[in-house]
Amino acid sequence: MDKAIIGLLQRVEPSITDAQVNNLQQISGGYSRETFSCDVSATRNGAKATLPLIIRRNPPAVEAILNTSRAVEHDLIEAIRTKSTVPVSRSYGYELDPSHFGAETMVLERASGNGKTSDLFNGGPDEHQTEEVIRHLCEVLVELHSVDISIANPQGAISDPRGVGIRTGSWDEYMDTTFEYYLREYRTINWDPAMMVLLDSFLTLRRHKPRPMKLVVVHGDFNPANFLYENSRVSALIDWENSHIGDPREDLGWMVLMDILSNTTVMSYPKKEGGFLAYYNKLTGGDITPVELGYFTLFGTAHIAVPVHQSVARRVRKEHMLLMPYYLIQSSLPAMPAMAQLMGYTA
Amino acid sequence: MNTAPTLDDLLEGLIVALGSEVMPFLNNPKAMATTAMMQSLLQQVRQVLPVFDRVIAEEHNQMTRTLCDVAAALDGVSGAEADRIRARAATLGAQGDVPVPVDQTPVRAAHSALGFALQDTIEDLDALQRAGHTQADEALTRLRQFLLPAIVSHIAAISVGGGMVGRG
Repeated sequence: MDKAIIGLLQRVEPSITDAQVNNLQQISGGYSRETFSCDVSATRNGAKATLPLIIRRNPPAVEAILNTSRAVEHDLIEAIRTKSTVPVSRSYGYELDPSHFGAETMVLERASGNGKTSDLFNGGPDEHQTEEVIRHLCEVLVELHSVDISIANPQGAISDPRGVGIRTGSWDEYMDTTFEYYLREYRTINWDPAMMVLLDSFLTLRRHKPRPMKLVVVHGDFNPANFLYENSRVSALIDWENSHIGDPREDLGWMVLMDILSNTTVMSYPKKEGGFLAYYNKLTGGDITPVELGYFTLFGTAHIAVPVHQSVARRVRKEHMLLMPYYLIQSSLPAMPAMAQLMGYTA
Repeated sequence: MNTAPTLDDLLEGLIVALGSEVMPFLNNPKAMATTAMMQSLLQQVRQVLPVFDRVIAEEHNQMTRTLCDVAAALDGVSGAEADRIRARAATLGAQGDVPVPVDQTPVRAAHSALGFALQDTIEDLDALQRAGHTQADEALTRLRQFLLPAIVSHIAAISVGGGMVGRG
């Protein structure tokens, strides 16, 4: 992999010479890609330099949770990085030819900051920073949702990044084609009838569409683990592979659920502003209601649940033998009581 | 509660993952040996789990009979030892048989079939609701009344409360 990393860097920046890869190691780095960390020492424009890097490589398709394109992720990251103030790490480039890295791969700058965001909660060592970090996180989300779609999505690559027939001509078309996708794919994810709560949620969402909002660039996995922070500020939003054109309430709703699953309390900050939703509304001048937030908690859950449970279903059928999908059952099923509550289940 | 993957599937998954996702990255012979021991013990659990309750119940019932038979064979023998044996037969050996658990495979299959039937019912109810049949709302409420406590007890059984390992 060393040779492939150096080759990609030199292709992007021909001034890089005498490069050497140090401390290359696989890190946990989320669930969907094989993630590696390393430092490249090199001469860059005639001066000695150290480049901290993250390598994100596609797993084999049968093991993948999301079959998304590293080229699309790279283009989006670079558009966001160069044309907005959303803090995001530079993506140096990608390699689609598997002969180099073994699979489709992208190489990013490793952002500075603490990625162990659990340090901000439950008495963690950085809890004194939580108010300001989450305040900034909310501001970053507002900034992302205000990015001009034509800049972030010039070729339409993130209108339907999964290639599942979602159309974004209007809010209604986006919602309706997304429901078609959820319901069509349900038969591929019901690895056990216990999944019927998910089916109920898909159908309930379709029966109770809320008011439309302007479609925006949605991060798509806006959760308590997908940012880094330092000095009480967000230093980078990370993991853009599920980004798409969608409803801004999706990111808020998904954070609600992931707060529950991650044992964090992002949504209750900034406390001085009455919490994340209140501050988001204040910044945008919007009036997203808690009921709408609940709706999009279900909607955002569905958006991630479809590929996650397709992955679980492949593991249950023993199409591969990775352990993680079984762990995903344990770690994701606690979402179900929250989903049931949002749908108004009673005993 | 889900019947797939089975508990045996989970144990098999742990054994495979120890071999393919952990062992290749160990460079300490002691840690490698411990990992191999873990695999061996997990395989033991896989083998014992399906028969454990049945074997324990059957042996329980056999041991009560054995205690009684041994005591009966000592008919006419006197002495402290024989008295203790007869006392054991009269107490522990007098316990009634415990029920031997039946094979759960058909129960699990029926559970799964019923679950899929409820799943399909949710879909049919949605069609009725969208067609304006308000009774379908009530019917869905009834179905959800079964689901909610089932979900809650399921989650209580499987939850560990450790957040999501490997993410922040």
